[in-house]
Amino acid sequence: MEAIGRSVPKKESYDKVTGAARYTGDETEAGLLHVRLVTSPYAHAKLIGVEVAEARRAKGVRAVLTGDVCAVLTGEEIRDRPILAREKVRYFGEAVAAVVADSEAEAAHAATLVQARYEPLPVVLSPAEGLRADAPLIHERLGQYEKAVGVESVPGTNVASIIRIRKGDMDRGWAESSAVVENTVSFGPSDHAAMETRSAWAEIRPDGYVVIETSSQAPFAVKKYMALYFGIEPGRMIVRTPLVGGGFGGKAAIQQELIAYLASRAVGGRKVKLVYTREEDMTTAPNHIGLEATVRLGSAGDGRIRAAEIIYRFDGGAYNDKSSDVARAAAIDCTGPYAIDNLSCDCLTVYTNHPYPSAFRGYGHAEMTFAVERAMDALAAKLGMDPLELRDRNAIVPGDLSPTRNLLNTSNLGDLKECIRRLRRRIGWDDWRVRQTGEHTVRAKGVSCCWKNSSADPNATSGAILSFNPDGSVNLETGVVEIGTGTKTVLAQIAAERLRMDPDRVHVKLRVDTQITPEHWKTVASRGVFLAGRATIHAADDAIRQLIGIAACVLRTDPQDLELGRGYVYVRADPAVRIGIQDICYGYMYPNGNTVGGQIIGRGNYTQRRMTVLDPDTGAGNPGPEWNVAAQAVEIELDARDGSYRLIRAVTVLDAGKVLNPKGAEGQVMGAMSMGLSFASRETFAFGERGNVLNPSLRGYHLIRFGENPEYEVEFLENPCLDAPYGARALGEHGLIGMPAALAAALSAAAGAPLNELPLHPERVWRAMRKGAV
Amino acid sequence: MIPFDFEYYRPASVDEAAALYRRLDEQGKSPLYYSGGTEIITFGRTGRLRTGAVIDLKGIRECGELAVRDARLVLGSAITLSRLHDSRAFPLLGETAAGVGDRTSRNKITLGGNICSRLIYREAVLPLLLADSVVRIAGPLGARQAPIVQAFDRTLQLGRGEFLVRVETEARYASMPYAVVKRRQVAAIDYPVVTVAAMRVGAGIRAAFSGVCAFPFRSPAVEEALNERGPSPQERIARAIERLPGPIHEDSRSSAEYRRHVLALALADIMRRLGGMTDAG
Repeated sequence: MEAIGRSVPKKESYDKVTGAARYTGDETEAGLLHVRLVTSPYAHAKLIGVEVAEARRAKGVRAVLTGDVCAVLTGEEIRDRPILAREKVRYFGEAVAAVVADSEAEAAHAATLVQARYEPLPVVLSPAEGLRADAPLIHERLGQYEKAVGVESVPGTNVASIIRIRKGDMDRGWAESSAVVENTVSFGPSDHAAMETRSAWAEIRPDGYVVIETSSQAPFAVKKYMALYFGIEPGRMIVRTPLVGGGFGGKAAIQQELIAYLASRAVGGRKVKLVYTREEDMTTAPNHIGLEATVRLGSAGDGRIRAAEIIYRFDGGAYNDKSSDVARAAAIDCTGPYAIDNLSCDCLTVYTNHPYPSAFRGYGHAEMTFAVERAMDALAAKLGMDPLELRDRNAIVPGDLSPTRNLLNTSNLGDLKECIRRLRRRIGWDDWRVRQTGEHTVRAKGVSCCWKNSSADPNATSGAILSFNPDGSVNLETGVVEIGTGTKTVLAQIAAERLRMDPDRVHVKLRVDTQITPEHWKTVASRGVFLAGRATIHAADDAIRQLIGIAACVLRTDPQDLELGRGYVYVRADPAVRIGIQDICYGYMYPNGNTVGGQIIGRGNYTQRRMTVLDPDTGAGNPGPEWNVAAQAVEIELDARDGSYRLIRAVTVLDAGKVLNPKGAEGQVMGAMSMGLSFASRETFAFGERGNVLNPSLRGYHLIRFGENPEYEVEFLENPCLDAPYGARALGEHGLIGMPAALAAALSAAAGAPLNELPLHPERVWRAMRKGAV
Repeated sequence: MIPFDFEYYRPASVDEAAALYRRLDEQGKSPLYYSGGTEIITFGRTGRLRTGAVIDLKGIRECGELAVRDARLVLGSAITLSRLHDSRAFPLLGETAAGVGDRTSRNKITLGGNICSRLIYREAVLPLLLADSVVRIAGPLGARQAPIVQAFDRTLQLGRGEFLVRVETEARYASMPYAVVKRRQVAAIDYPVVTVAAMRVGAGIRAAFSGVCAFPFRSPAVEEALNERGPSPQERIARAIERLPGPIHEDSRSSAEYRRHVLALALADIMRRLGGMTDAG
């Protein structure tokens, strides 16, 4: 009856598949007011004025807000962003005004009557453009903004942040290198495209309580930052989150809540609802970061890398949000999963006039990995070495130091060499790598390795509360938002395992309410199971201790003689001496009515051990608890006539530490692989010359569809992380990380030309082939 | 959500529809005929379209007809693209139509709606151009018939208040050898980089195009080049591409250069399938 290792179906699935599940935008109520936005058609322009009189006069309109209503600047790393644009707009889709009306239709109509006047400014449309000495300045007051610890900006430029990683001796590294390659990659911003668009409710109650309901991955961060921005007492700031329809990092950002709050404030605190249109969700709300990167690798003749010089230039978009932190996450793992003693990495986040990025599944790692892995393939080509062999020779192992100078061991590092070994066998790497399959068709395989630590705040916390029902079943409450990953089901399994009961008897609360739910930092970074799982184990142990205390009294035994399991507390040496949990979980009542103990409430919390901030000069520090690893491959068939191709097969071999829920884990990895291939093969915003987004809806922005997918294969090894619940390593993101690089490797092999830009549209492949042929 | 109010009318006859149009137009309501409504929904919600009244053509019997009469295939303008495909009445038309949007959309998009689309593709018109179909058009001034090759010049040439009632095609065209090639930027469902619909009629190949230029077309000059006797197929294709009726379209989906390349491949594919790849032509 073990609860761990079983494919327990997600607890919320029944409601979801019947359509009964409710999301933030689904509910409505009498008296509710609706908010619609007016957004900028310019990527960079002076805002001369916003004329709202006509909109204000329109039927049903209660208020029209512009940037004048609030001077607060927001941002988690750099406070650089007004809630509604003030003085100028910095990206296409930026919210300029908001209309509050009795109905959504009236609000939408009135929004068309708002007249904003702009004076266009020159635009910055790539990090390289932003770094030019004569580049237009996007944030003139960068030097005056408040910044989080460790954020180093360069005022007077478009450099929002710079992070340095230094290790070893570069001169020595280059001296020992007989082969040197330099490779540059680039790709622009793209989208998360979660099924549910961002939405929020806001109400400022007469008693001063501010109540927000939001489709957020981070309700506790919403509480924290809104209290900070608006001077609200934290106890009066209540944030609620029901099920969230996909987040992928994009809903860890705070945006729609702030607008909804201002809108409510403008109508005397009445309850308002703001549901983003798909277009707003794609351009107004934060998106997936772009990157330009140059990786220079030097190796000895045996392929062992002696030196790496890396420059990452992240496309930070118009506002910083989390992009400099995404860059930090990329910097700490900047080499990919390879042991490189001599290392120099500069990681820049550059302001541009693109819609601004926030977290995206993988948090900088799919991006950084694409740069590193393409350089690894270039090095393999230069050395005439098998690309997988090159990776194996350089694979980071226990005893090596991370770029942040952490000593790696079998617990804090997954087993990459074993992943590579199994990948090699599974994909038949040694049988063939490129072969002609028809007059114009070529099949090819490409590989990539990846790793990722998490980038939680050093004091990121998670709490759990266990309470009991009269039948002895339990209720588990944690602050994890259920965003579709099934984390709450896995947490129920963890509780059930500890309490030695069936997971069906563990009821999970899906909704988060910051007023009563114990805090979980943010539902991000593949850290739900790790943080909340440890908190859940603490809570279960606390409950067990209390139950045994009562049972010891009732059974007249030493508490140390007692164990809990299968619904009873019993004497280890004589299990017939026992009492049912249902008889003691509300205290035990003797026949005469005397009662000992009371209802059992188990509590637990967990904070990661010995995390540190990074040294500003070298990057040394302890950024996260565990580097998990994977080896991945993609097989494609290319039509050499036009560059079109089919995805045949995609494989991930990942060190799961311990697979807690096999089907759930497989689904997470496959979903991530699909997302990685979708991003790599097709997803990008198309920009006009003025920085306007040409494809701000799913009509022109394509996601991978059923039927376009390859066969997905996932294989797990189980080399436990000793800090993690039952040894489980992070796996929610890793499936994505190596896919772009593996796809590019396969296509480059088939096309006979290196592909270093994304997405890999057939036209791009065709151009590379033509260039290669000249 | 469509953020404006509009009136909805569902006339039962062609005359009633035309009369409604005239009345609503006089009232300044900028009425629109429609049957599937997909563009009204998608453009209406983003402010790219606004109307005070819509006239639903689905209630008009002639617009919903799908029949063969006197060796002529009669297709009402309000037939959905899904039905056109599933009926197999005109396989080339059905398959070309099946390249538009996704199945869920094609359950709504109609033959008339696609031909009169505001987008530049209007792929359902291609087979009709090849088959010398005749369109029946009605409006406040009465009804008229015209060969589609005359009535359709980039768009269907409609007078104020006119709408497409039905399309008639000689039934023999439905069984002629055909081929349709649609190439997209990357996704399986998207507008075309290039769509070519082709038919072998006697010794010659007829071909009509969407995506290539900023409008769909069938061009005598292009067909003449493709069917020329003497030059190799590759030469004929190159000459056909030189004779396109407008500049090759360029947008975020494809450069003109890549479109030209894909077009040449599509034409080679078509000629291979329809037997035009011999040098004898």
